[in-house]
Amino acid sequence: MSTSTVAQPGPRSAGPAHSSNARTASPGPGPSFFRVLNSEFIKFRTLLSTLILLAATAVVMVGFGALSAWGTGQFADAAGSDPQAAEALAAQGGDLAVTVPTSGIAFAQLILGSLGVLLMSSEFTTGMARSTFAAVPKRIPAFVAKLAVVMVSAFILTAVSTYVAGLVAVPILDNYGLKLDLASSQSIKLLLVNSAYVAAVAAIGMALGTLVRNSAGGIMSLVGLFFVAPIAFQLIPGDFFVEARKYLPGNTLTPLTAVEHVPDTLEVWQAGLVLGAWVVVPLALATILLKIRDV
Amino acid sequence: MIEAQGLTKVYGDKTAVGGVDFTVQAGRVTGFLGPNGAGKSTTMRMIMGLDRPTAGTVTVNGVPFARHVAPLREIGALLDAKAVHTSRSAYNHLLAMAATHSIPKKRVHEVIEMTGLADVARKKVKGFSLGMGQRLGIAAALLGDPQTIILDEPVNGLDPEGVVWVRNLVKFLASEGRTVFLSSHLMSEMALTADHLIVIGRGKIIADAPIKDIITGKGQTRTRVRTDQPDQLMNVLAGTGVSVEVQDHELLEVKGLDPRQIARAALDSRVMIYELTPLQASLEEAYMELTKDEVEYHSLITTGVPVPVQSGGN
Ligand SMILES: Nc1ncnc2c1ncn2[C@@H]1O[C@H](COP(=O)(O)OP(=O)(O)O)[C@@H](O)[C@H]1O
Ligand SMILES: [Mg+2]
Repeated sequence: MSTSTVAQPGPRSAGPAHSSNARTASPGPGPSFFRVLNSEFIKFRTLLSTLILLAATAVVMVGFGALSAWGTGQFADAAGSDPQAAEALAAQGGDLAVTVPTSGIAFAQLILGSLGVLLMSSEFTTGMARSTFAAVPKRIPAFVAKLAVVMVSAFILTAVSTYVAGLVAVPILDNYGLKLDLASSQSIKLLLVNSAYVAAVAAIGMALGTLVRNSAGGIMSLVGLFFVAPIAFQLIPGDFFVEARKYLPGNTLTPLTAVEHVPDTLEVWQAGLVLGAWVVVPLALATILLKIRDV
Repeated sequence: MIEAQGLTKVYGDKTAVGGVDFTVQAGRVTGFLGPNGAGKSTTMRMIMGLDRPTAGTVTVNGVPFARHVAPLREIGALLDAKAVHTSRSAYNHLLAMAATHSIPKKRVHEVIEMTGLADVARKKVKGFSLGMGQRLGIAAALLGDPQTIILDEPVNGLDPEGVVWVRNLVKFLASEGRTVFLSSHLMSEMALTADHLIVIGRGKIIADAPIKDIITGKGQTRTRVRTDQPDQLMNVLAGTGVSVEVQDHELLEVKGLDPRQIARAALDSRVMIYELTPLQASLEEAYMELTKDEVEYHSLITTGVPVPVQSGGN
């Protein structure tokens, strides 16, 4: 390492001039919520891995939008000549195009949920938490600030990616004579609900990362909850699991976005409450444990 | 000023810190000396509010750390492990820390300059040597220009030039009237840096005294005595606070009496002595002596059998 720049402590090098013993009661501004939020945003944007995950989400969302536009077009074409396909198309309400921009949502929730886990677990695995909570010893403001940064980023990124995916999909669908109106109320609803849903998943990820304090463990729990449990619940026979399946957080998106009620899912209001509980309960638990556990 | 009262930390069935009381005064460098596993880092984490004490309290300038309005401006700490996300650059790390207290960018640049990190500040911390990591930790500790500075093993991994730099830095900070508390497991380092020493072993305070008292082993004067009649001399010297160790069959080491008192006692009882050497303990010896019974994993080979003539010795 370079030692040529070693600063020798001298009267001018230890910091701003200050009278040594006379220290006033108020040394200067402390960690207000706004300052902590600013700090968490700096932390968020100065990690390359975070930026890569955000970019990956956008690419996947837009890519899947384009792919799905093409697939939907092919399907609609086939429906023109095949009565069976036409029947299937009619069963979908005839409006397949409107869901095209959000086709990549499963991947967005996986990536951004994992990001939520990582941003919290890495605090503990790297020791950064000691710096974070020495600066904000009340701890909860730092957690809430990070949560705000994560959820708002997840929401905005999903919304923008969905919109861009829509822009890419429109001309492709047009080739097959399908119309997608990004300004329609259903399009806007899908964009908002999906973005809010992904923000909720990212929040659940943050709670898991805080509880588990370990990146692999946190991501495994997230994947278990969103990808393994729905399949496992379907495979296990019994009415209980059919019923319980509806209450998994990943199964609340369908009722929340459907035009009409889909069988074997919750009502819209129920789905909203269930998803809310999946966010609030783990977060509350994480907050309490964060406050009382040693860093 | 840092004040600990009955400060205790128990992990499972392991008592890392066992009810310690101490005060770290402003205006001088207080060393926190103890072998590995003695409880230094745990004590420092409790001061910083990161570990919750199992019992007892610790305050900084009269207030628990977490209750300070602007903690980073009150207390700056370098804790033993790197407390940094290693994928972030040193500059961005300091910038994020500074943001919590609205500490201006100018100050971030200042501490980077002071700690000699200017050349590497924009690089990821991942590639830092242990020494550079320590410098970054010190930079973070100084960020808020705090009145109280806590450094856990700051010279670990530093090159000799860095060691001298830290030594001068902490002395300078103390000379400005700040409270400086730094830990080390090396007595020699403490002897050169600290004004006051708190020695800890197995979670208990073993000594809390000015460094010069500890070095000279005040109250622990040792004298080497050679005599033809060791048994007789031992009986004569017996008394409260006196211990005699048989080193060889005619060689004794006496603690708790000065050479004049030993000579007087020998003369009065007509025991001939043919060597009387006051022993100036080396620093390492004094430390070994202090922690002899407290070291958790020690490889000390004790020569001679300690013979406490009276309880109260040793
Ligand atoms: N988080 C922890 N969980 C369990 N034991 C711990 C923990 N931290 C420290 N210890 C134990 O407490 C004792 C004191 O450790 P520490 O404070 O790190 O000592 P030092 O810094 O003096 O080397 C050691 O025996 C250590 O193993
Ligand atoms: Mg330690």
